[in-house]
Amino acid sequence: MMLFAIVVLIALALFGLPLFTVLGAGSLLYAQQSDLDSAVLVVELNRLATSPNLTTIPLFTFAGVVLAAGGAPQRLIRLFNALLGWLPGGLAVVAIAACAFFTSFSGASGVTILALGGLLYPVLNKVHYPERFSLGLLTTSGSLGLLFPPSLAILLYGIVSGVNIDDLFVAGIVPGTVLMLLLGTYAAVIGHRFRVSHHSFAWGVALRALRSALGDVLLPLLIIVGIFGGFVTVSEAAACTALYVLVLEAVIHKSIDLKQQLAALLADTAILVGSILIILGVAMGLTNLLIDAQLPMKLLAWMEQSIDSQLKFLILMNIFLLAVGAMMDIFSATVVIVPLLLPLAARFGVDPVHLGIIFLANLEIGYSTPPVGINLFIASQRFEKPIFGLFRATLPFLGLMLIWLMLVTYLPALSLWWRY
Amino acid sequence: MRRCHRRETDGRRERLIVPLLNKARALLTQVETWLAAGSLLLLLLLALLQIAARNLFDAGFATADTLSRYLVLYVMFFGAALAVERDRHIRIDVACSFLSRATLNRLYRPMHALAALVCALLTNAAIRYWRDAWLYAPEHERWLVLVGLVIPVGFGLLTLQYLLAAWLGPDQDA
Repeated sequence: MMLFAIVVLIALALFGLPLFTVLGAGSLLYAQQSDLDSAVLVVELNRLATSPNLTTIPLFTFAGVVLAAGGAPQRLIRLFNALLGWLPGGLAVVAIAACAFFTSFSGASGVTILALGGLLYPVLNKVHYPERFSLGLLTTSGSLGLLFPPSLAILLYGIVSGVNIDDLFVAGIVPGTVLMLLLGTYAAVIGHRFRVSHHSFAWGVALRALRSALGDVLLPLLIIVGIFGGFVTVSEAAACTALYVLVLEAVIHKSIDLKQQLAALLADTAILVGSILIILGVAMGLTNLLIDAQLPMKLLAWMEQSIDSQLKFLILMNIFLLAVGAMMDIFSATVVIVPLLLPLAARFGVDPVHLGIIFLANLEIGYSTPPVGINLFIASQRFEKPIFGLFRATLPFLGLMLIWLMLVTYLPALSLWWRY
Repeated sequence: MRRCHRRETDGRRERLIVPLLNKARALLTQVETWLAAGSLLLLLLLALLQIAARNLFDAGFATADTLSRYLVLYVMFFGAALAVERDRHIRIDVACSFLSRATLNRLYRPMHALAALVCALLTNAAIRYWRDAWLYAPEHERWLVLVGLVIPVGFGLLTLQYLLAAWLGPDQDA
């Protein structure tokens, strides 16, 4: 009976029933099957309000929404173009840097492709990059900054897993930079092969662009120094970031009118936060029921029979997570999969911080893989290209990202260097 | 003849009800927008006030942290209710990309009605939880239970939004 219900729920999810209602229905059915009062599900949701870093999610998200509305994408492109546009493959490198920077604030919710992709695509075409390369680059770049602070994905992983968010922020910096270097090198090779034109460095232009975008580029620096210098906690950094961004856009750049736009910006943030956190709230009840039913323990016992080393575990976990990434978006996957994965990883000696980086790296790849890679859908709408064509365009980038995933997985020092 | 008359009566009733429901939905959305925006703004102000109090006066409001975290639940529920109206909830709708627009439109009402049913059941669970919390809370923690009223209210709002979407159908959607 329960198996039948699970199959029906999966089918309903595939046909578009919102994920939080699928999880809610599953929890309610399971509670009824186990003769439990469904009110226990709400106990868990209420427990969400005891999570110490919970406030960081809406506040950092608000900062991202305000930056997007205030014209930060344009300022960033101008700056990175002035600083890096002289390199071989310069404009593509500009795209990679600007997208990674912007995604760390916008939370890889597709805003990067919509905001930056629309600006960069015609320019990349104009300097004669092959169209397929440009499309692949911009589609993949939509999730590039996921491992940089204050990424929403890292915050959510920290809250769900109970791992220190400061540690996750430090751990993501080197793997994120390695990925940018890999893709940047590939872009330089393509730029050289197709003799793409690039401009020479001009101090005047660079200084003007820097003056315009100084407030934006200082932001991640201020967050990192603030948190790791011990001046503010992560929650306080989130509040300061939100205030800083409001002052930057409304007072310094005067690009948003608070009287006219503030309510809409706050509501937009609430929608984004609401659609993610409601899944977390409902899934916490289900996860607790599954833990009560000792599902992780049973899974562990089953895995211990067939897996005898950390290496085998990591290989299988990567295959599993790549499949998950192709089927679920990063936020749902974090909420549903991480609580089940944590005890398994602990049993095989995988550090929870390293696990977080591996997990997010897998899901970052999932953004551009069918059938539900959200980057593919958004890029398809933005550039008016078929999804399959975009997937083909992203293949070289996905290949590089798989190499990167192996580096991140099997070289823990990339994520945990600061502990040695 | 009788069938024809019934269809006409149904049509008249539909013409009366649909604009009313559209108005109700617009009003509900407006209220949710203000509540979501207000909760987030209050959260930001409270967080900044707390930082100022800690750093300037070496003091802090004991209840501010708890209140801030509950405000996240307010933002979450009002935002989630708005996400129904704007069709922005996260889905794993892999199969939908293989369906025609007409089939998707046919699926719209049953899917939203089903979502409304799940939300109604969760509302029921939340009301029972809240009632128990109120009954057994010590006097000095009653305010916290009152703040937690957002959980049943939030699920209630989600139910209402899904019911309205199910009734009004895809064409009426904003």
